[in-house]
Amino acid sequence: MNPLAALLSDRLSEAQVVEGSQTACWAVCGQVPQAVVFPENEEQVAEILSLSSAEGWRCVPGGRGSWLHGGQPPQGVDVLVSADRMSDISAYEPADQFIEAQAGAGLDVLEHRTIEFRQWLALDPPGGERGTLGAMVAVGTAGPLQAGFGSPRDQVLGATLVTGDGRVLSLGGRVVKNVAGFDLLKLITGSWGTLGMITSVTMRLHPVPAIDRSLLFKGAELAAGAALARRLAQAPLSLAAVELLVPGDGESGAGASSPLVAVRILESVDAADEAEHIVSEHAGLPPFQRLEGASSAAIFDNVRAMEDGAELVLRLSLLPSRLLELVEMTSRLDGLYDPTAGWGMRLAAHAHTGVLRVMIAKMSRSDAWLERAKATLRNLRRSLEAQGGSLVLSQGPPQIVGAMGAWGESGPTALFNVGIQAAFDPASIFARGPMPR
Amino acid sequence: MGCGCVLPGGIENTLPEPLTKELGDRLRSVVGDAWVIADADRLLVYESDGLTAYRKTPRAVVLPRDTNEVSCLLGILSQEGVPVVPRGAGTGLSGGALADGDAIVVGTARMTDMLELDPDNRLARVQPGMVNADLTAAAEPFGLYYAPDPSSQSVCTLGGNIAENSGGPHCLKYGVTSRYVTGLTVVTYDGKIVEFGGFGRESGGYDLLGLFVGSEGCFGIATEIEVRLLPKPEGVRTLLAIFDRLGDAGSAVTEIMAEGLLPAALEIIDGPTIRAVEASVFAAGYPTDAEAALVVEFDGIGAGLAADVECAVVRCREAGAREVRIADSAEERRALWRGRKKAFGAMGQIASDLIVQDGTVPRSRLTEVLGQISEIGVRYDLTIANVFHAGDGNLHPNILFDRSDAEELSRVERASTEIMAVCVEAGGTITGEHGVGLDKRRYMSLVHGPDELDAMQRIKSVFDPVGLMNPGKVLPDLPDSEGANV
Repeated sequence: MNPLAALLSDRLSEAQVVEGSQTACWAVCGQVPQAVVFPENEEQVAEILSLSSAEGWRCVPGGRGSWLHGGQPPQGVDVLVSADRMSDISAYEPADQFIEAQAGAGLDVLEHRTIEFRQWLALDPPGGERGTLGAMVAVGTAGPLQAGFGSPRDQVLGATLVTGDGRVLSLGGRVVKNVAGFDLLKLITGSWGTLGMITSVTMRLHPVPAIDRSLLFKGAELAAGAALARRLAQAPLSLAAVELLVPGDGESGAGASSPLVAVRILESVDAADEAEHIVSEHAGLPPFQRLEGASSAAIFDNVRAMEDGAELVLRLSLLPSRLLELVEMTSRLDGLYDPTAGWGMRLAAHAHTGVLRVMIAKMSRSDAWLERAKATLRNLRRSLEAQGGSLVLSQGPPQIVGAMGAWGESGPTALFNVGIQAAFDPASIFARGPMPR
Repeated sequence: MGCGCVLPGGIENTLPEPLTKELGDRLRSVVGDAWVIADADRLLVYESDGLTAYRKTPRAVVLPRDTNEVSCLLGILSQEGVPVVPRGAGTGLSGGALADGDAIVVGTARMTDMLELDPDNRLARVQPGMVNADLTAAAEPFGLYYAPDPSSQSVCTLGGNIAENSGGPHCLKYGVTSRYVTGLTVVTYDGKIVEFGGFGRESGGYDLLGLFVGSEGCFGIATEIEVRLLPKPEGVRTLLAIFDRLGDAGSAVTEIMAEGLLPAALEIIDGPTIRAVEASVFAAGYPTDAEAALVVEFDGIGAGLAADVECAVVRCREAGAREVRIADSAEERRALWRGRKKAFGAMGQIASDLIVQDGTVPRSRLTEVLGQISEIGVRYDLTIANVFHAGDGNLHPNILFDRSDAEELSRVERASTEIMAVCVEAGGTITGEHGVGLDKRRYMSLVHGPDELDAMQRIKSVFDPVGLMNPGKVLPDLPDSEGANV
């Protein structure tokens, strides 16, 4: 047993510490930790992190491991602390529309529990239901439902966080309206495990709508699809989601990939028909396909799964009115991927927010591919930033993401980010932090 | 002006240190002579905010016009070590804009411009002194509106809304201010100008924008605000249910939500409030022998509203409503809302002073907590009238009193403390939308332990290392190692 694992084993049971070859499947952006530990409660998390602070170990918090390949690659990992053994639902009050669970609770488990009372977590981040609650909050990424329900930051009511030096902080609460002090919950959401390990989360729930309906508008070419998506997003009503989708090669039947605009309507019975009418009229009465219930949900489940199997995932942003320009910029990426491998490149854009996800199945490995890829991505990031937008390297080969930084430069606010990380993690044990890097 | 007396919360309204000529000249060189207020009569306006039980005369008030002027002012004041209190319209209800500690008030009253209205992207960029309702008025021709609607929206400013993370009746469905703020230009204590967030880009790093919203002027001054607008709902339907028992109105709220309905607003006013309203010029035709009036509003796609209203009517009747009125026109809708919206104004009819308390409880505990608040009122011989956002469990017990009666004031203090404790005990919190300010610092330890308060202090120090931004607000004095408050 390596010395690090031995020290941890003094504090945890044998089954809670994994070392050696078994840690390979817990690699963080390709870096294999010396040990993976599975605490069963926040006291154990506090003990592990305090010990790590004292020993100077580099830590990464995790759940089931579904996001370990994404985000900023760490500079080495000593201990991966998994919340996989902390998965209890500690409180569910249907009348108060909240659920509180340990960080390792699976999103699938939460869905199963709440559907009984016709309630749901109105979030659809990439990755589907196999992720954990803690990871969803730590990553903080929103999916298409952001248009209608906001992102994770809008629906987290409370959380318990163990800081780098082992303090256990109880943040927020169980009520929607709460302004008792500074909103540290906002810092935690989307902090990628750089401020502490989330051990439990309280989320707001919504009633399941009577009707789940998707309208699918098929476009002949990209420009028309982008224009249609924008027009639909500007319809005079609040829609749950409007997503422009461009499948990869061979994924949309025969021939070249053609764009698709998916509108999701979550309403009561009467309102759904009226919403469909308004949407259709606003779009100029183009033909569309209507899907209802499970078929409608399945379309958006597929959107969540679009990053599966991708080697490179980018998030490009501009103001939503410039969606077409944003989509057209993806032509600059043509040389980056191997068109013969898998599905090539997929696109998915949130028409309300102007966020375009680009998924590449396999990057080209031709001569000098690495340098070309970095140059292409740098130029694109620079171009977007100059126009008020951004490029996030959501996941990709560590040698690219590490060199460029997942989020790019933070400019004058970098000082705040460093100060915030020091406040939560004085010994700087969290290997991905501070953000951005 | 300064009465020299000790007010609730231990604030003594002594005269501030006068503004020196040198400092006054430096401030005037930035904003012009007319916009530095230092004479006693004109400072009277600024000695309290909406929580009038607390009064403290500021050393001076400075009214800048734009980001650069704010930056210059804060640069000068930090060089001089002078504390700064940001102030919007002064409608806050927690004493957050009170100028404690010889502070100088930096007001946003002249920063009222619409900087950009972008209907295409459903965005607006405004200066912080713009009145909340003016933004919706400007957006209306484009079929858009700004969702957060605090009751003071006709006078309160968006900068103040940011500072408090304001809510409002329609936040039940639409969420509070933080959901709508997409970008901020902020001037920090030393005059540095920084940008947080911004629609159309995913900024790397921590959510500084989300952290800043609700920071009550303790981290800096927001000088430009970018917000998201929503399309105006196609239809609105409002009903008013009258109850003989307050608990029945609470049950109706629970039942309506249990149906899976999501009303835009669910508001209750209790019997004492109804009688105050009906005795005032704001009389709305509510029966004065009723013990609760519940306003239920649905909005959205017109075709779906009738079924929602029908369902809510059934639930109200089952819960014991003796009468249900449904508005058929915009005028009738305004009439149903009148009693709710004018409730605070009507209180002036029955008492000279009013403390609007603000606590939140899980919705299912509403009836129980209201009973406990009523019992507290009886025990302290105080009139407590309730007006509240029932849908999200946000209570506003209004305690009526006369502040010239020191003994009564002491009872108000003790009753307020007990009300806060009851809310926390029920799984709620000490403030849902009015903020901590000065008034609720002493209750912060009811909801936060030493580690959480320490973490908040550390984060404040990141933005304001020398403690010049709105000192003495939000965080309580922590005991030092010998137990004394510091």
